[in-house]
Amino acid sequence: MRKVVFLLFFVSLAIQAQTKMSVTEAEALKTLVKQQALTTKTIYSDFTQYKHLDFLSNDIVSKGKLAFKTPNLVKWEYTEPYNYAVIFKNETLFINDEGKKNQIDMGSNKMFKELNTLIINSIKGDMFDDTAFDISYYKKDKHHEVHFIPKDKKSSKYIQAFQLIFNTKGDVIEVKMIEPSGDFTKIVFTNRELNKPLADAVFTN
Amino acid sequence: MRFLLISICFLFISCGSYPKKQHLELSDTPLKSIENPYFSDASIDYVYKASIDVYKRNFSGLLIIKKIAEEQHRVAFTTEMGNKLFDFTFTKDNFQVNFILEELDKNLLIQVLEKDFRVLVTQNLIISNSYTNIQYPVYQTQINNKNHYYFFEDNELTKVVRSKYGKEKVRFLFSEIKHRIAHQIKIKHQNIPLEINLKSIIQ
Repeated sequence: MRKVVFLLFFVSLAIQAQTKMSVTEAEALKTLVKQQALTTKTIYSDFTQYKHLDFLSNDIVSKGKLAFKTPNLVKWEYTEPYNYAVIFKNETLFINDEGKKNQIDMGSNKMFKELNTLIINSIKGDMFDDTAFDISYYKKDKHHEVHFIPKDKKSSKYIQAFQLIFNTKGDVIEVKMIEPSGDFTKIVFTNRELNKPLADAVFTN
Repeated sequence: MRFLLISICFLFISCGSYPKKQHLELSDTPLKSIENPYFSDASIDYVYKASIDVYKRNFSGLLIIKKIAEEQHRVAFTTEMGNKLFDFTFTKDNFQVNFILEELDKNLLIQVLEKDFRVLVTQNLIISNSYTNIQYPVYQTQINNKNHYYFFEDNELTKVVRSKYGKEKVRFLFSEIKHRIAHQIKIKHQNIPLEINLKSIIQ
């Protein structure tokens, strides 16, 4: 019996830790994030990526730097435990894999194109598109968490949900992409600098 | 007629067994079986940075191998950014595709991957013949009814060759071996332009 009480106590704690936002709170967050996205010209940030596969003992951890410049330049640069950089530029993916350079034309690949848009929007946090996602809003400690569930059948085959965590200023501090199997990729941003001048040269491999 | 004789001769020569062609000497061994130790520890997450060259194209990503039970492994491949491309389960007599990206869902490709990864994850192998190569032992064994030759140097598995009609089809090279982990692995196909290079990033 005591165990049950304890369990109930913890369950109620867990529920308290994440509560649904009211409609007005959700609207306020949306406005804040959209405003923040509008004034964001560049983002430069450290990131830590956790790849979770249920059958592994530990998540696979990699680290690097993210650079973003409006309207659509993105560079993901992994520095640990390997050197790998990918730049999304116009319709092309430029890859530098430990010195081995490669290009992929996204123009012919709808999936890559969609991925690119999603990545840019998720970095900025601005993916509040009701036609593409079922969106739900939560409060979690001091942060806000928003869940995006793709409506499109083809996307939902690969991604069950995106979960974004925002700080009080409306910046994205964590992105989690959950696969239908339950495996996920979580990216945590730290030392995020906004609107620091970034030369175009940053976006060349 | 002479041509026919010559070509019959060639046919015989080219049909010689793999050990014969490699000048391997048949030898006796008290061993009944051998072990591939490289993916045998269920407590280790085997993670490799993978580079795949196929038909002049290059792909990269992470190859993840985990022993989940006796004679049972998961083998998954993701991009560096975490997108899963495929996820297989190998058991002793079975193979299961848990997930594969639609663009890669081709029977021929899956068969090639299955055969190659089965060599990586098969831990215990029954010896059907043993040979010596200069001073080192070479053991013949069967995986999926195909002949595989296991080369050992200083008691470490350094090479596996899959052969067909006496010809080398696929070569697996293991190097930078430390504590039963091969930190570099190369899988090279001879009959198709496919080469897989794996570099360990085990954390």
